[in-house]
Amino acid sequence: MARDTRAPVDVHVAPGEDGTVRIGAGPAFGQDVAYDDAVAVGPDFTRAVLDVAGAVLTWPVLDDPGPPSAEVHDTGRAQQWLWALYGERVAAAVHDCAAGEPAGVRVVADSTALADSAARLAFGHWAARWWPASYPDGIPALDPDLLGLELAALTHRCQQLFDAEGDQPDDCVAELIEEHQAALDALIQWWRATPQPADTARRLESVLRLVDDAADSVGLDGPALRHLRASLDQGRPVVTPVDPGALFARHDGYALAAGEPLVAGGRVIARGSGTNDWCRYPPGFVDAAENAVSWTARAVGARRQIEVEVLAHVTAPVAGAPLVAEIRVNGGRPNRMSLARRDDMWTGRADLDLSAGVTQPRIEVGVLLPGFDPGRDPDGPDPPGHPGTSGEAEARADRDAIRALVRRRLIAAAQPLAYEASPHDASPGPFLAETAAAATGEDY
Amino acid sequence: MVIDHAWHGLGPGLESLSGPLGAPLTRTVKLIVLPLIVRPALRPELAADFLGPAQVASLDGLIRESGTRLAATAQWFTLLKRTRRALGIVAGNPQDLYFQRCFELATEHGAPAAGADATARAVVEDVADTVDGRTVEALKDHLADAVRRLRLDAKLAAAWERRDPAPSDATAAVALAAEVLEACGAPGPARNSPQYVSMVEAGHGGLFGRALWTHASGVWGHEDLPTHLGLTARQVPQRPEVGRGASTATLPAPLDRTLFERLFVVLQSSARREELPTVPELVKQEAGRSCAPLGLCDESLRVAVVLGGRLAVGLDPLGTGEGAPGRTAAHRAVNSRWRREASALRARRMTVSPRPDPDGGVLDALAQDLRTPWAAYMRRLWVRLHGRDVRDAPLEDLDAAWAVLDGVARSVMMDHRARVRSALRTLSAAPARPAEQRSA
Repeated sequence: MARDTRAPVDVHVAPGEDGTVRIGAGPAFGQDVAYDDAVAVGPDFTRAVLDVAGAVLTWPVLDDPGPPSAEVHDTGRAQQWLWALYGERVAAAVHDCAAGEPAGVRVVADSTALADSAARLAFGHWAARWWPASYPDGIPALDPDLLGLELAALTHRCQQLFDAEGDQPDDCVAELIEEHQAALDALIQWWRATPQPADTARRLESVLRLVDDAADSVGLDGPALRHLRASLDQGRPVVTPVDPGALFARHDGYALAAGEPLVAGGRVIARGSGTNDWCRYPPGFVDAAENAVSWTARAVGARRQIEVEVLAHVTAPVAGAPLVAEIRVNGGRPNRMSLARRDDMWTGRADLDLSAGVTQPRIEVGVLLPGFDPGRDPDGPDPPGHPGTSGEAEARADRDAIRALVRRRLIAAAQPLAYEASPHDASPGPFLAETAAAATGEDY
Repeated sequence: MVIDHAWHGLGPGLESLSGPLGAPLTRTVKLIVLPLIVRPALRPELAADFLGPAQVASLDGLIRESGTRLAATAQWFTLLKRTRRALGIVAGNPQDLYFQRCFELATEHGAPAAGADATARAVVEDVADTVDGRTVEALKDHLADAVRRLRLDAKLAAAWERRDPAPSDATAAVALAAEVLEACGAPGPARNSPQYVSMVEAGHGGLFGRALWTHASGVWGHEDLPTHLGLTARQVPQRPEVGRGASTATLPAPLDRTLFERLFVVLQSSARREELPTVPELVKQEAGRSCAPLGLCDESLRVAVVLGGRLAVGLDPLGTGEGAPGRTAAHRAVNSRWRREASALRARRMTVSPRPDPDGGVLDALAQDLRTPWAAYMRRLWVRLHGRDVRDAPLEDLDAAWAVLDGVARSVMMDHRARVRSALRTLSAAPARPAEQRSA
């Protein structure tokens, strides 16, 4: 992040498959492989994507900020914004490429305000899905409504990227405001209670004004939005400061249950940690910690039993989600075991098909939501970008890198002064939800 | 880009037509600047993506000349939005509804002056009223009359009797459709397909519709694929009933819909309702239309059903690369879009398992729909074509037809994403336990 994000960067413009044009940046620069493989150089949770008019934009989450890679499938529509995002040279190169210029070219992309806002919007959508909230890791959850309102503001800011054709799922400013307007009142309180000229106050006001303007221009109305408008007209009386952590406190300040063990009896023959693959279940169910999945195998008379405990996400629903554990013994066929919620855990117990003679079974345990798990072909190649390595070890390293990234961001969010001198209007600072979470996090 | 530069040159006063970064709103460009100021139909030299210096100067000049009028348009828009709020109107996007009217007001009156409030009120009420008389309520009232229902029922029975089911098979139409689709989806404008025109002239769409009535089979070259592709849940379409109610959640397959249900869908969508005939006229026409092949009157729209069917049977949302008879350029374009969508859905953690999972519940059902994508595709396509038929809007050339076929594919993807989002939201909606109970 130390790099000057305003410096021009080269991108690679070349014909893609099926009449598309590909703009390669960062790790996807000039790669002559399918777009999926070019941008998906790591697990799915390392990519931030944005569906815009005529194209899909992709940023690697773990890399330095820079221009996105793009697959342009409708150059005519994309020409409305290409110049504003990448600069005129890239727009012209895409035009030439679509007109039949077969060779790829290297072009200088400008750094633009739109590119900054788009990157931030994409990262916000990423955070809404992959933020690795974890109690043992000390990573607080982000308030979804607070984040949703900031995404609405950013979507409005990036309006040039979307056209009115109705086929861009991320062109959703009205939906975001309607879904998350419950947080408006708390946001207004926070804004009023934050002393000027703090950076946070400026960001709060910017988000509120953008939400108001967006709601006005798409014709949304309602009590919460009227209150917002009245508050913005009225200005900010200085009142007693409030603690944003308290304003957006969710019921997630739990202390870990002391963990009364399942009274299973028997003799422990093995125990260990399973794999916590974030891609196999939706957000909000399982704590993101690497060791959130643990298991114990016991001998009870002649039977062999396994217990699995999965640390629940702080906001996980009590019921309704049929999470299962997947258990493989000595590389055999995976078996499923259903999990039920008990205190802060999803737990389950099942008989293990293990002959009494086996003393050191190799047991692999994972957790997943049936029907959601995108799965990998067990006989297929390793995920792209990981030649000759176990995809799982790489994925673990990537999860650690994500945790390190959000920890850095939370530390920065707890020190608003670091952003005080920010010269850009694009608010490159933390998301408000991160600032609020950083305040909550101190109670952990 | 030129528009944007000229826009910035116009200075302040355009905020209500501009985005937060100062560029004009996309709808400002689409609904005001291009159609009302630039008018590329009159000035084809300005229609290109990249303009020469002379065209740039000309475009720049056009926009600058309109500066005062645009500033007045912006003021009218602000006034109309305020008036709309005061009247408690929330339906529709105000940019779609008012932009053009604001430009007309600015042209006629300049900036809002004395008396503008009354004018604004009249315009907002007028826009809200245009749809009046073309509502589901009006349809319900119209069809509540018992005598009228009897007459309609007799009319449907007679029209259904007069049908002429075709014993011939529809494979020829389907083979032609593949040739036409080969001309679609590629970049560039070279889509002037004589095959499309000849399919329409030879009535291949009507022929296919009549073949449906005779329970033809094997049309799509794959035994698992029913000829109707889910347009009906029965073996052959039955005579439509008049009907007296409808609900979006329980609409049957398109050709099994009652006359009420068919028109309900048309009147439900708020877009361009002012182009519709009045309700009595709609009902009268629909009685004939619903007994026509494929429930459509216009032959170009019926041909679009054949093209859509041929496209739909080769869709591969899960990227399995399996099955499906010969894929065309159109298939490659749409399937590569599905591939990008699947990649985006993985990056947004909104996946469904590609392989059947008996424990998967509603997510598995969504994945199952992706394994038979033709059903959702044909349903969507038929609704769109029907909407064109009632508005008397045929598909004049292959470009127009491809825009519809491609647009339907994108809608099916949007639907899938929305359904996954909603399913996941429901799964995580069970209330979390309060903190105090969590701590043991």
